[in-house]
Amino acid sequence: MTDQAASTRRFTFSAGHRYWVESWSPEENERFFGRLTVPHGHNYTLDVTVRGPIDPLTGMVIDLSELKRVVGETVVERFDHADLNADPLFRGRVPTTENLAMTVWELLAPKLGADRLWQVRVWEDPNLFVDYRGPDA
Amino acid sequence: MLELTRVYHFSAGHRLADPALSDDANEALYGACFRPHGHNYYLEVTVAGRPDPVTGMSVDLGQIDGAVHARVLDHVDHRTLEEVPALAGVVTTGEGLARAFWRLLTPAVPAGALRRVTVVETAKNRFQYEGEAA
Repeated sequence: MTDQAASTRRFTFSAGHRYWVESWSPEENERFFGRLTVPHGHNYTLDVTVRGPIDPLTGMVIDLSELKRVVGETVVERFDHADLNADPLFRGRVPTTENLAMTVWELLAPKLGADRLWQVRVWEDPNLFVDYRGPDA
Repeated sequence: MLELTRVYHFSAGHRLADPALSDDANEALYGACFRPHGHNYYLEVTVAGRPDPVTGMSVDLGQIDGAVHARVLDHVDHRTLEEVPALAGVVTTGEGLARAFWRLLTPAVPAGALRRVTVVETAKNRFQYEGEAA
């Protein structure tokens, strides 16, 4: 095993959502999700962690400016000031914090490499966060 | 699997003291922590699960919130921890509290769901407990 380290960069975006299952009646949705059926929004915080060997030349696991560019183009530009329910990625998929974390992983894994991407942490607010480390973890 | 963490807050007084020791011995052992004082604590409760394919939820947050309030927060917020019956016999270090809260919460959440209990005593001290097997 080579010398491994993990690097985390933090991002923020603000997005709107509601909890709603299309195949349920409005009454079923309201009974199950309550006030979460009402469109509202959050200031999300996203911590992306990349893990790998420390490059002997650069001393880095990843150039954080590259990480910033990839996450910015792939996730932040897509979700910032957006209605998550209107995004095709959430068609038939309720935009819970859990599903958002998995969706962010699915967007980033092909760009960063599933072997390099270590963890996605999505904070819905300062009191709730979800960690996802991929389908195999 | 993914992990969902909920952050809770409570304020409480405490002191570190071993009831078997004299005051002098406790002061020598625990120093400033022997004097009655208090903290603004944060309690982080982490549960593991897979999101339901329909609802997208991995746990019933209402159940978790209810359990944490009924079994922990209602007993400790604005209390002196040494006087809390549910903490009888616990030396109220961060480690001791994390383990005690784990034991209080385990029966009240779905079997196997509880992954970690973290007690944040100050901005500089955090204590994690993941169960006896961990």
